[in-house]
Amino acid sequence: MGYTILSFPLPLSVVSLFIFCFSIPGISAVRYPINVWPKPTTFLWTHPQAILLSPNFTISNPYHRYLTTAANRYLRQVLTEHHQPLFKPPLNLTSAPPLQFLIITITDLTSPLTHGVDESYALTIPSSGSTNATLSAHTAWGAMRGLETFSQLVYSKPAIVASGLYISDVPLFMHRGIVLDTSRNYYPVEDLLRLVKAVSMNKLNVFHWHITDSHSFPLVLPSEPELAEKGAYGEEMKYTADDVNRVVEFGMEYGVRIVPEIDMPAHTGSWAEAHPEIVTCANMFWWPAEAKWADRFASEPGTGQLNPLSPKIYEVVKNVVKDVATMFPDSFYHAGGDEIIPNCWKVDPSVQTFLSMNGTLSQILEMFVNSTLPYITSLNRTVVYWEDVLLDPIIKVSPSILPPENVILQTWNKGPNNTKRVVASGYRVIVSSSDFYYLDCGHGGFLGNDSQYDQPPGTDPGNGGSWCEPFKTWQTIYNYDITYGLSETESKLVLGGEVALWSEQADSTVMDSRIWPRASAMGEALWSGNRDETGKKRYAEATNRLNEWRYRMVSRGIGAEPIQPLWCMKNPGMCNTVQPFVS
Amino acid sequence: MDYRKPSFSFFSFFTIILCSNIPQISAVEYPINVWPKPTTFFWPNPQAILLAGNFTISAPEHRYLTPAVDRYLRQVLMEHHLPLVNPPLNLKSAPPLTALVITVADVNSPLTHGVNESYSLAVPSSGENAILTAQTVWGAMRGLETFSQLVYSSPSSVACGLYISDVPLFMHRGIMLDTSRNYYGVKDLLRLVKAMSMNKLNVFHWHITDSHSFPVVLPSEPELARKGAYGESMKYTAADVRNVVEFGMEYGVRVVPEIDMPAHTGSWAEAYPEIVTCANMFWWPAESDWPNRLAAEPGTGQLNPLHPKTYQVVKNVVHDVATMFPDQLYHAGADEVVPNCWKVDPSIQTFLSKNGTLSQILEIFVNTTLPYITSLNRTVVYWEDVLLDAEIKVSPSLLPPENVILQTWNNGPNNTKKIVDSGYRVIVSSSDFYYLDCGHGDFVGNNSKYNQPPGTPQGDGDSWCGPFKTWQTIYNYDITYGLNEAESKLVLGGEVALWSEQADSTVMDPRIWPRASAMAEALWSGNRDETGKSRYAEATDRLNEWRYRMVTRGIYAEPIQPLWCVKNPGMCNTVH
Repeated sequence: MGYTILSFPLPLSVVSLFIFCFSIPGISAVRYPINVWPKPTTFLWTHPQAILLSPNFTISNPYHRYLTTAANRYLRQVLTEHHQPLFKPPLNLTSAPPLQFLIITITDLTSPLTHGVDESYALTIPSSGSTNATLSAHTAWGAMRGLETFSQLVYSKPAIVASGLYISDVPLFMHRGIVLDTSRNYYPVEDLLRLVKAVSMNKLNVFHWHITDSHSFPLVLPSEPELAEKGAYGEEMKYTADDVNRVVEFGMEYGVRIVPEIDMPAHTGSWAEAHPEIVTCANMFWWPAEAKWADRFASEPGTGQLNPLSPKIYEVVKNVVKDVATMFPDSFYHAGGDEIIPNCWKVDPSVQTFLSMNGTLSQILEMFVNSTLPYITSLNRTVVYWEDVLLDPIIKVSPSILPPENVILQTWNKGPNNTKRVVASGYRVIVSSSDFYYLDCGHGGFLGNDSQYDQPPGTDPGNGGSWCEPFKTWQTIYNYDITYGLSETESKLVLGGEVALWSEQADSTVMDSRIWPRASAMGEALWSGNRDETGKKRYAEATNRLNEWRYRMVSRGIGAEPIQPLWCMKNPGMCNTVQPFVS
Repeated sequence: MDYRKPSFSFFSFFTIILCSNIPQISAVEYPINVWPKPTTFFWPNPQAILLAGNFTISAPEHRYLTPAVDRYLRQVLMEHHLPLVNPPLNLKSAPPLTALVITVADVNSPLTHGVNESYSLAVPSSGENAILTAQTVWGAMRGLETFSQLVYSSPSSVACGLYISDVPLFMHRGIMLDTSRNYYGVKDLLRLVKAMSMNKLNVFHWHITDSHSFPVVLPSEPELARKGAYGESMKYTAADVRNVVEFGMEYGVRVVPEIDMPAHTGSWAEAYPEIVTCANMFWWPAESDWPNRLAAEPGTGQLNPLHPKTYQVVKNVVHDVATMFPDQLYHAGADEVVPNCWKVDPSIQTFLSKNGTLSQILEIFVNTTLPYITSLNRTVVYWEDVLLDAEIKVSPSLLPPENVILQTWNNGPNNTKKIVDSGYRVIVSSSDFYYLDCGHGDFVGNNSKYNQPPGTPQGDGDSWCGPFKTWQTIYNYDITYGLNEAESKLVLGGEVALWSEQADSTVMDPRIWPRASAMAEALWSGNRDETGKSRYAEATDRLNEWRYRMVTRGIYAEPIQPLWCVKNPGMCNTVH
């Protein structure tokens, strides 16, 4: 393991030092009566107790456009949530005066929400309300993480709060995100806001919005309005500039970055509705009868790739990039680059001519990248591409045109092997291994007319027909070490990870339950790790905590799916297996 | 296949209108469809007419049909459903449709197994009254559902110039929901019943209790729920049950209760520890082999058939449940009796030491309880285990086929065949095809299976019944596979099952729908077209539309494809 070690040890305040310096153990494996998800790095609570939250409880914080909104929100929440844990925490309510204040101090109020921003914080809740609780952080964004922690320590009616504790917390990985595909099926803005809210509850910090694909183009762009007008699924299935602004601003108030992805040059069939001349193989049947897999037009139904040899595409692409960069302030811009299918380009006459003069498909992609990447970086963006642009066996570009200082690669194939190949090439990497982090797997195939489900009874159903079978359980996600097999130096290039919900078989109806609590599992693994202080995987210990946390998310309006019968929580340990797994 | 023929004849009226050109069941793709696809849908010139603003439905007065009529009237006037693909139907300039007239031959038939659900529906193109004819009010409800699915748009239009004659292939078409592993609010159960009725399913098999919780409050045994429910807010009171049962009647859905016993009863031990063996023990101790487990999953406990007190409690339970649930079927469980759970009990050890067997102990239990249940005019449904379990089972002589139905869940068609060959009627819930919970991994804690080095094959994900059963898997299963015609007659129908280890309110709708819709069509009008070819490909677009309509009706059915596929018919198919 090569966890990214942060150089920033938050200085304990003099007061907390005085209170706690007598007996500071290592990260404790003790089971606390109330827990925070993701588990904080350091949680000292030598004598678990609780005190009342005063009805006049207030949070004081330096004014900050987004932190102030967040502090107000958390103030309302702690006073009105009245969460009743499934199992009443065995905590003595001390007769000490109720807690009146949480005082937030910030070292640097101006740090913007960007990749690598300091999210650390320290929280002290004294055992008597005659002393203030204090939350200190370097940045407003770290303070938001601390506020979330504080909110999870408040429960019951009247509101009471865990007391006599000190938490010092800092994430292992800077990039902790969720990909949602809003092209295969549409999600209304309310769903996206609820997603951002839940992302923030789990101390995740990136919503990677895979906005467009071959199936629909829901984003209304001021310079290219035709793309959505003709490419969206319908009038009511679009994201306007106002919608985007709402999501972005909401994200800021929750400390969640919104990274847009406009996938190209492949996955662009929907562009052809407005601009048929710039898209090759649009609206063709994806995998004709008698054709080999190598001769498919797309890896799934929905064909179409931008034609890098058509000058017109660069007008459209630049308009798109400019508008998207304007609408999404984040310094990351995801430009796709995955799954370029040879035959989709090869059916185009201009491409055929190019190839007949000894040109290659990879050269065509290089043209595209060379004509678009500098433009995106000129807008002060770091560009994220899917790994394919470097690792695809057939169509890829030379690393020389992908400057590692401007380019980050997101891996999705072959687990740790491709992570290693990406970092070994000198690139920073975001891990979305489909073997571990794809939330859509395990629901079978979505193709029509698929005879594999019409076999005689007794036929081995195999893995069920989903290309990335099986379903990734929360434990599968929790246990994955995204720096597996890397040296310490290599590990430093691993920025973090993203679970991904591709939407062939998902939309509003299942968004919450497909994502949560499995994304929470990644949330903890990337925040404080998946091991206890002895280095042992802590998935067994995490189960009950995750049950409670899932329940709290549900009561907060996030329809997270259950992972066990409620009985298991009432009977700790009784739902375990103690048998060794034999494969 | 045992295609049951409709027993009614066409009205001469329609014969005159339509007889000039009656084709076979048509494979034509209609601009608007009904799910499940009707047996006969004759629509030579697809058109639509407006529904009059003062449209009415007339029907004979009936305690349950009347509320159903009122409900459908409101729905057709107010739903204003806009299909994903606008039906290419000419709106006729004929006068709008002002009335649907329902006639019922026998308004007294109760909602029970085998009740006649057939109906015929004619919607003329002239604006003359639409006619719905049925033998029973329950058939009329099915016809009303069909009519409602033919209405769309704003202002409301209705498909016209059509004749539908419809009758289910199988009489028993159900969904099993487990409310013990995790609790579901009553509102969830009502929404389930509502969605079942939309899909012309007719049985909600309510697996109420299990080892994990005992949520039903019984007047004679209130301690069972008081101590065995998950909490004060997680119980079903007598009023709740009445609410569900009455709601079911208004929707033509029978509610069949299951109180699983003698196994799956750990929750009873909270109130009566003395009648439950191996309660609250660790389910599968370290160092012990699988045959020495105490339960097939966490949550141990089996009623002790050798303890007289068991029968006091059981009789109270059966009596109360039979009172609360009027349906003629009573599900008495009897699955997964695990040897070691009984063997740890001293009284059982004594019995065994005198050359008694575990099967004899189960026979004692069945002999003492089955006659009591049947004495309450109930047909008893047991899980197949009572007959087919490898170790603990009873002699068929104790299970009179006239009083007992078996529900199969193991070994696909093989066990179905074993059961019918033994002379029993069977309800099919094969876990290979009909278990909706499969494919989400294992729920046990501390499972090192999910902590293997990257690169280790993940197999089917360690769900015992993995993989996930797709809608096509469910749709294509022929529940009479391998049976001859006589054997097929003993197959009453099927039930998809949602076991709730990893399910509750948050996922109930998408786990069940639209996959239960797939079974609904297969058991109503079959999974083959008129040429005998599987029609799953043709069903895909129809199911997409139907799923979308269910969502707009408040049922959170999960999507089966990108919306793009609906808009580009055939383009999402595979031809390989």
